[in-house]
Amino acid sequence: MKKILSYLLLAFLISHSSFLISCVDEVEHDDTPTGNFEALWEIIDEHYCFFDYKQHEYGLDWNEVYNKYKVRVNDNMGDTQLFEVLKDMLSELRDGHVNLYTSYDMGRYWTWHEAYPQNFSDTLERHYLGTDYKISGGMRYRILDDNIGYIRYETFLTPVSESGLDDAFSYMALCRGLIIDIRNNGGGNLTTAEMLAGRFVQEKTLVSYLQHKTGKGHNDFSSLEARYLEPSSNLRWHKPVCVLINRSVFSAANDFTVIMHALPNVKLVGDHTGGGSGLPMSNSLPNGWSVRFSACPMYDRNKQHTEFGIDPDIAVDLTDEATAQGIDLIIEKARQLLRN
Amino acid sequence: MRNEKLKYRNVGMRRGTVHSTFLHLSLTLLITHFSFLICNAQKVITRSTMVGFGSTNILDTYLSAEHFKGSGMSFVTTIERQRPDRHWSTIMEHEANLSTTKDRSKTQQELEGAYNFYWGKLYSWQLFSNCLKLQAGGLVNASLGFIYNTSNGNNPAQARAHLNVMPTGAATYQFNLWRKQFTARYELSLPLCGIMFSPNYGQSYYEIFSLGNYDHNVVPTTFISAPEWRQMLTLDVRLWKSGTLRLGYLGNMQQAKVNNLRQHVYTHRLLIGFTKQFSIIPRTL
Repeated sequence: MKKILSYLLLAFLISHSSFLISCVDEVEHDDTPTGNFEALWEIIDEHYCFFDYKQHEYGLDWNEVYNKYKVRVNDNMGDTQLFEVLKDMLSELRDGHVNLYTSYDMGRYWTWHEAYPQNFSDTLERHYLGTDYKISGGMRYRILDDNIGYIRYETFLTPVSESGLDDAFSYMALCRGLIIDIRNNGGGNLTTAEMLAGRFVQEKTLVSYLQHKTGKGHNDFSSLEARYLEPSSNLRWHKPVCVLINRSVFSAANDFTVIMHALPNVKLVGDHTGGGSGLPMSNSLPNGWSVRFSACPMYDRNKQHTEFGIDPDIAVDLTDEATAQGIDLIIEKARQLLRN
Repeated sequence: MRNEKLKYRNVGMRRGTVHSTFLHLSLTLLITHFSFLICNAQKVITRSTMVGFGSTNILDTYLSAEHFKGSGMSFVTTIERQRPDRHWSTIMEHEANLSTTKDRSKTQQELEGAYNFYWGKLYSWQLFSNCLKLQAGGLVNASLGFIYNTSNGNNPAQARAHLNVMPTGAATYQFNLWRKQFTARYELSLPLCGIMFSPNYGQSYYEIFSLGNYDHNVVPTTFISAPEWRQMLTLDVRLWKSGTLRLGYLGNMQQAKVNNLRQHVYTHRLLIGFTKQFSIIPRTL
């Protein structure tokens, strides 16, 4: 008994002394423009997941970015000036998932869709959907004149229920094909995208790969984990499908496109997607501003990056002439493909 | 016919054997039960229920590189059972706390909640005419909790769960002052080893819970990777016969450095509550 107590006492003393020398803490940067700049650069340096890929794609060097912007920061500058510098620094990442949030503005990089034709028109959307379409969760749908089902899903932030999908697929069961229009869909919940995509796979299918960072180093990553899509146990769609995409298809909508692209009876029609294949996470600066960044890279089934989007199978652009006549060339191309 | 009678006799004998075994078992059970009651006759139970208010300091680098400071409240219940003729006592503690904290800019907020359960055995030494009692032993600590960052998007919360073995020491001193009986007690628990849940450095909860991709999410810990420090100082003042007022301080410093993530939750609470001491007196046979 005395021996046991001696061991306990020894362990007690060792852990006691270890505590005194090992408080788990993190050094905070000062809440000054320089301190906030350093904090932001460090957060991105330690957590961002596409450094290697983007260095290869367009020569991104985060240390060079530090040198370039450090000289623009001093402790006498105001919040607005600091915001401009930090926003510009983050733009070097060319990532729509990277944002700087303040109470008065959101720093962003939206060139991936702003620099390209929209290939979508609200007027045409109203023309094709009409007024007697049905609504289920985030999904609007109807049957077009040539017996082709049309689903418009403009954000995966709004979910849809399994029973809602059952009702929609039952309603369109006799259609010869289906159009899923996700143009301008900027993403939302991955689980919503997966639930919808699950209606189109007939067996467990490898759709993509995923990994995450395991440390602060730019190349500290876990092994690639395969991501499979299970077929829905409810109503499933077996006929041809066209997914309509444009440059504003981003994040979870880009992921939906990647999944659908892996399926045999699906064609992508429209324009290149916007990308955004990094699962974002958030952090904060000493002055309270929030920063969002890509943390977990996702790859397609061939282990290729889709951060900068994916190409359609059939590229189609809207034209002013057709738009003026009330014709959506992308929808019309999909209808043509489904009719043949 | 004779064989049949023999068979019946054998069956009767077997029945007799069964009955006698049953009687023996019953007797043994009664004797054991009786001795158990005798052993328990003097068991003294000290139960304290307290509520505490004080400060909280949170760091969780999975959620933010910033420290979050604020206030919170705790509910603490301690139960100690000991027989006067024995050196070992059993101790059981429940601690639940809720905190709300903000970063230094006062724009970001984190909420924290946890439930800690402690169970263990302490060995006692009575010194100075039983005025001072020293105790040493170990506790097992099971903890469940969360830290919720109200601003974050895909990583809004951190789940906390751990199981620890904690060497523990306590000193209790009884004295009289102003014709009242006082009991001062200090208890210190430190970790030895355990296991805890943690996402990996940049791993999302989507990967863990939606895809089932686990990556070092149950981590063995030691007093080096998860140095904790829990101390409670209390002063009991006996105000009336059956009740005692308890005032105290509880400091619980839980820390972890696993998967390249750093986390600490420091809570300091001023406690107030009541202590009740009673004995289990069994019915005499």
